[in-house]
Amino acid sequence: MSSRRSRQSSSGASRITDDQIIQLISKLQQLLPGTRIQRSNKSSASKVLQETCTYVRSLHREVDDLSDRLSQLLSTIDADSPEASIIRSLIM
Amino acid sequence: MHTSSKLTKEFTKKWVKGLQICCSSKKNMDVLERKKKIKLCADIALASAKNATTSWSIALISEAKKDGENKILVDNLLGPKSPFKQQKTIPLMSTCHKRVRSKKILKRSCSVGQRMKKMGPPKSNLATYIAKRLVKKRTQVLQRLVPGGESMDEFSLIKEALDYILSLRVQVDVMRSLANAAEVSNQTDPNVFD
Repeated sequence: MSSRRSRQSSSGASRITDDQIIQLISKLQQLLPGTRIQRSNKSSASKVLQETCTYVRSLHREVDDLSDRLSQLLSTIDADSPEASIIRSLIM
Repeated sequence: MHTSSKLTKEFTKKWVKGLQICCSSKKNMDVLERKKKIKLCADIALASAKNATTSWSIALISEAKKDGENKILVDNLLGPKSPFKQQKTIPLMSTCHKRVRSKKILKRSCSVGQRMKKMGPPKSNLATYIAKRLVKKRTQVLQRLVPGGESMDEFSLIKEALDYILSLRVQVDVMRSLANAAEVSNQTDPNVFD
């Protein structure tokens, strides 16, 4: 992996080990949606990174879609009306 | 996970507050403008709920403040004692150069791979070389996706990406609950909103 590069770029005080990077990558792997049980340890770093990018992009898209949906739904609600406060209390 | 429920509460409070600020200023926004405001409030609320503990949240707030219109909203939302105020704006390079560069790297790595094949190196070297190039390329893509990623080294980038994904999930969950709730209340009382 590119651990050599990060060791060179980091300062002498904080040496980043291979193990730390591998741990991070595996944590990232656990976050990703998909077959969690069958995630073999041999998933390469580049694959995990690629899936991470895809996942982040899909989360961005979801936020965008939800904003769309909300703007259409909330367009009829006046911000100070009692209905808005009901909605607020529903989600709190 | 009690940390995510705390984040959920913080985010929801700030987002609703932001929405109130936005929506009270202009009553007759068109759908697209309203959508942008909702999204902006959500992003700022998410970043400020982190309380300046992560780089991506700081970068997101700095980016939002660059727009003069948004700056007032951001300042209102963050409050007077926000830890974000002391941060310098992180200059974000234009991302199109990176895209071009990563395509060039891919082309170069393909051609270099072919060249090396002709020279006949041991297979393991070639594999690790290509693997490293791939990791570098993917890392660059991730840098573009995570706010403020351009100025991070690989290690911090992965840490920030971890946190960013968790926070994005919270954001999506809260927004989805609100959308579902609004839909339900729209269906039950369609006459009330006249």
